[in-house]
Amino acid sequence: MKAKSMIKILAVTYGLIGILPIFVSDSSIMMRILTMILIWSVVASCWDLIMGYAGIFSFGQVAFYVIGAYSSAILSVSLNVPPILAIFMAGTITAMIGVLIGLPCLKLAGPYIALVTFAFQLALEPFLKGPLGKAIGSGGSRGIISVPPIEIFGMSFSSSELVQFFYLAFVMTLICSAVIVVILKSHWGTAFLALKDSEDFAASLGVSAFKYKLLVFGITSFITGLFGGLYVHYVGILSTRMLSMEVFTVLLIMIVVGGIGQYPGVVLGAVITVTANELLRPMGIYRLLIMGGMVVLIVLLLPDGVTGLIRKFSFSRWTNKENRSIETH
Amino acid sequence: MFLEIIDVIISGLLNGSVYALMAIGLALVYGVTKAFNFAYGSFYTMGGYFAWVFLVPLNLPGGYYTVFLTAIPFLFVVGFFLEKFLVAPLRKRSDWQMKAMMLTLGLALFLDIGYIAVFGPRLKSLPDIVEGTLALGPLVFMKQDVVIFILSITGLLCFAWLLNNTRVGMAVQAVAQNPTGAQIVGIPKERVFAATFAISTIMVGIGGILLSQKNFVNPQASTGIMIKAWVITAFGGMGSIRGSLYAALIIGMLEAFVGYYLGMIHIDIAVLTLLLITLAFRPQGLMGRE
Repeated sequence: MKAKSMIKILAVTYGLIGILPIFVSDSSIMMRILTMILIWSVVASCWDLIMGYAGIFSFGQVAFYVIGAYSSAILSVSLNVPPILAIFMAGTITAMIGVLIGLPCLKLAGPYIALVTFAFQLALEPFLKGPLGKAIGSGGSRGIISVPPIEIFGMSFSSSELVQFFYLAFVMTLICSAVIVVILKSHWGTAFLALKDSEDFAASLGVSAFKYKLLVFGITSFITGLFGGLYVHYVGILSTRMLSMEVFTVLLIMIVVGGIGQYPGVVLGAVITVTANELLRPMGIYRLLIMGGMVVLIVLLLPDGVTGLIRKFSFSRWTNKENRSIETH
Repeated sequence: MFLEIIDVIISGLLNGSVYALMAIGLALVYGVTKAFNFAYGSFYTMGGYFAWVFLVPLNLPGGYYTVFLTAIPFLFVVGFFLEKFLVAPLRKRSDWQMKAMMLTLGLALFLDIGYIAVFGPRLKSLPDIVEGTLALGPLVFMKQDVVIFILSITGLLCFAWLLNNTRVGMAVQAVAQNPTGAQIVGIPKERVFAATFAISTIMVGIGGILLSQKNFVNPQASTGIMIKAWVITAFGGMGSIRGSLYAALIIGMLEAFVGYYLGMIHIDIAVLTLLLITLAFRPQGLMGRE
């Protein structure tokens, strides 16, 4: 997709989301949904960047999110770091862990990476619940309660001031989305695509797989950790329930609905998925059943998600040469 | 002290042999179809529930004989049609491997939540396959353990015989070596893919029937079993059946010892550490070919 149409779609989507609070600021449910859309859209975009563009089957995205949340919470609760600093430190910690996880993945073939990163997520829960986690202040299976809200110049952003927090998240989302677009359209983005298409050929042209793969691990885990930190100061409590299959699958559905490697389709995917998830909430356990069934059906029937659907209905603007090259590799 | 170690070794051997059955099924399906099946663990739970329905609410005559005789065709049909209708249509696309992973993840969630919706969230206990104990000097074995061990080894031997001595098995091997070449000599590739998927479903389902007697039928066990089977296959070398066998026994032993001496909560961390160290030095796994 061209940078211009990418920015256009992002501007329209985020513009609409940004205006909505003016009309629905009284409804706390709507404000919560809108805030979660912002947070998830960035986390899902990062996953799309690493999986859809760089072609690395990283299944550790939820783990990075939780690491960001835990580090920020531990820093601000145990070490009294001001939350606004803590979330950036959390991003940095997550980026370092992301690079550490990325190192063994450099040598491995596709499915092994999925396995290592997914196993990493599964091992994180016993780690946080066990004595090792308690030693660093994770609070064991009880989790961390009373995480302080973010404060900037005496203004407090927490779950009691929904509109204020929404606009804080909004600004951060805009910055991170801009960073993602710049990365995708710079020579980094091209290098990611080249490595995905043919690593040997890219290497022969002087694209260093070592550098760019670690770079993509570092960037995506930094942004994910940052938003994990943002989230934990918003909700104020944290437990290992965040590591459940449910969260993982909901995040997966966003990418599947939006289309893999079709940024900014994943942002639309986040909007649709978070809304659908909330609408289905009264259905209890059947909500997850429907979500699981939806993944199967969408992968089968709409391989490119909503982006593919939109493209089908507007040939003239979308099926230019550049698009086709991204679509058919 | 000595007897305790023997107990731990027996428990490791027992788990290891059933893990071997399940991991080899996974090694087979990955080696032949190159599809990454994330719903594998859900078929383990499916086997457990299948046995439970037959033994507890229906209480059919014949006990476990009936269960095994009906479970094998049932699991075969489930696996065969899942591949045919869900995985096969994806193969046309170049990024089908990623799509297959996502689809099977969705399927896993669907099945696991489906079990809870149908059978409720509580654990179900299966009756023992045989009662009583077997004394061998100072050592006392559960007869059930011995039977589970023998059955899973028999399952493995049957599988080896099937793979090496039958036309289907040879067709599977041919497709694994070279799908295009196999197609040229007239082997129906699509049907072999579906059959492999079905055979692996049988192996993990049987594993579920065997292990659920000791660990209860648990709708939330699927993810753990799936990741265990994957770790074993990766540790042993993807697509290497002999490697998976050794890896399963090593992981079974490691689990038993770590669980006994350090506590159950450390099992996952220990297994992951072993996997990471192995992959750091041998990216192709213990016996994988590069």
